Amino acid sequence: MNIDQLKEKMDQAHYIYDDTLATVLSVALQLGRPLLVEGAAGVGKTEIAKVMAAALDRDLLRLQCYEGLDESKALYEWNYQKQLLAIQVNMGQKESDELTRSLFSDEYLLERPLLQSIRSDNPVVLLIDEIDKADEEFEAFLLELLSDMQVSIPEIGTIRAKSLPFVVLTSNRARPLSEALRRRCAYLYIQYPDLEKELAILRAKLPHVDDRLCVQVAQAVQMLRSSEAILKKPSIAETLDWAAALDALGIRDLTPDALLKTAGFVLKNSEDLAVLEQMQQSQEPEQEQHCGHCHPHGGLYD
Amino acid sequence: MTDPAVYLEKLAVFSRILRAEGLNIGPGQTEDAAKILTILGFQDREQVKTALRTVYAKSREEQLLFDKAFDGFFVTEEVLRKNAMQEAMRQSQIEQNRIDARQQLEELGLSEEQQYTYAAMPEEVRQKLRDFIKKYRDNNKRNPDLYAGFIHSVFAKTLLEQHIRMEDAAVGCQAHDPEMGLLYRDISQFQDSEIPKAISIIQTVSRRINGELTAKRKRNGHSGKLDFRRTIRKGLETGGSFYRLQYRKKRNRKKTLVILCDVSGSMVQFSEFALRFIQSLNQASESSRVFLFSEELFEADAFSLQNMDLFRSYVRDSGVYGKGTDLGNAIRTVLQRTPPVLNSATTLLILSDTKTVDQPGAAEAVLQAKRKAGKVLWLNPIPQSQWKHLKGPQLFASICPMLCCNTLNALAEACRQLTLS
Repeated sequence: MNIDQLKEKMDQAHYIYDDTLATVLSVALQLGRPLLVEGAAGVGKTEIAKVMAAALDRDLLRLQCYEGLDESKALYEWNYQKQLLAIQVNMGQKESDELTRSLFSDEYLLERPLLQSIRSDNPVVLLIDEIDKADEEFEAFLLELLSDMQVSIPEIGTIRAKSLPFVVLTSNRARPLSEALRRRCAYLYIQYPDLEKELAILRAKLPHVDDRLCVQVAQAVQMLRSSEAILKKPSIAETLDWAAALDALGIRDLTPDALLKTAGFVLKNSEDLAVLEQMQQSQEPEQEQHCGHCHPHGGLYD
Repeated sequence: MTDPAVYLEKLAVFSRILRAEGLNIGPGQTEDAAKILTILGFQDREQVKTALRTVYAKSREEQLLFDKAFDGFFVTEEVLRKNAMQEAMRQSQIEQNRIDARQQLEELGLSEEQQYTYAAMPEEVRQKLRDFIKKYRDNNKRNPDLYAGFIHSVFAKTLLEQHIRMEDAAVGCQAHDPEMGLLYRDISQFQDSEIPKAISIIQTVSRRINGELTAKRKRNGHSGKLDFRRTIRKGLETGGSFYRLQYRKKRNRKKTLVILCDVSGSMVQFSEFALRFIQSLNQASESSRVFLFSEELFEADAFSLQNMDLFRSYVRDSGVYGKGTDLGNAIRTVLQRTPPVLNSATTLLILSDTKTVDQPGAAEAVLQAKRKAGKVLWLNPIPQSQWKHLKGPQLFASICPMLCCNTLNALAEACRQLTLS
């Protein structure tokens, strides 16, 4: 699939992208490499896998990583209960060697997302989300799958991929990933969107929201992100939540009062909320000085 | 560039350049790059750049290095010609300046390197030096023994400063990145408006290091003792058979940290950042004692340092802020304390730029401290490239391990090493 075809598919999926993203996705697809996506929380890393699944018309398999994740949760597990039952039922009826062999067959194998993704008849999109949360052993364990698209199960042997999944790994950079893993992947770093892109996302995702409000929300979010004093920068998801909340409350104009009342949708800790209040207070005297007789405007929400 | 063999050769050269820039490039990446260029072609420069960046650069830091290398390597013929012309003009100008320097400053006997530095200086600085020579030329003729050394030392000092400035000008491209710039910029160049962002970066990086250390601790394995309770409980999942044995975790023993913090004028900023890092690393030490020093020593109490936002006012109130530095006195005072502050279970961490009065005395005191403490580590905010020009870092680095911490990134790396040791 070339870049133009991919762009067409992403347009059909109503996904807002820029040329860089389209090129990176196309390169990863054409080389058959897993794509490692890094960036701050909430910039749309996970969304890329969802959109690629929609664009390529494939199923999405998701493996959410966490501390302590091991192969039994990610790759496969033997169904112990069923094996124990089979032993008791078949004891005396089958030869012990035959019984042992039958216990390690597909019938007792519980497939987890990684195994599912390579045993699927049709190619899928495999999302390995927040790989930085998993332990380094798990990262090392992934190397065989990512480079050779195969996994080794001691009791069965090597399982090669029936179909090649498009693998997307995401990381919030909570810890550095190993060189070996990085080397096997195409790499994409996503930054917060600029005003135009954020506005385009708002318009695409919330078409029913008043355009003027969308502009005000996008401008306010850009301002908050550019402020050094705000520690947790608002994500795209928070921008969408905020615009949707304002719309649901029937607010058509982002006034200072509306901003402060709904700031909890976009700023998620008390320090940042306090900073916002200070910013508002410092702007108020200026506004009064400029036009004290009319409704306050300007600054963050104008 | 229509012949594939030509651009594949160029690609191999480009891979070598990236390796020289510090990127970990293997043959696989070059092969991927060649494949993708064969598909995409060279029509769209930005597209080629993005595609190659995807293949070659595997982190944000590497992307910035890649962009710099790409922009320098893949240039249009017009730009190439212009750059070559500018460089030729610059070189001929420098050569001319060198010839002038040889003629005008013959009596000083400058080395080749000094001549080159002089030739590359801005005209106004060279003019100042020429004026200086002119001013003292008669004195030099009258009493060469007295003035020759003086003139040479002034000259050498100016040339050294210029040399350092030229080295500093070649900062990494990462320092110019709006998002990560602070991580790679010299701490002494931070503006007041950038400090909240720097603090936020410290918190983020500390969280990352903590995560890394937690994972490392878990990897350290078990103590070798069986945990019966967990083994039996886990066995219930497999019908009562002890399929996997569970072991007790290894106890993590941490050291006691004694921090000697230079708070003399220019060092306050660095000391604050370093303390923020150390305090936010929850595995840095079991307990720590912080001593602030300039000409005198003052022990900071743990409660006051809990809120680092008040660190500066706390330092000002302590009475040691803004004075000169006497490291030797500070260490001797610590050593004289009873009960002893330093023992084999303590790590002494010195946060200082090595600028102190009585350097031999200070060196002697560091040696004494080294004998008492389990380990001594020095975090120095002066860029390592300047150490060879300064006596202090050379002297103290020969006594104890000294880590360069002129940027937040280097400081984070030093703190990581501290916690891993």
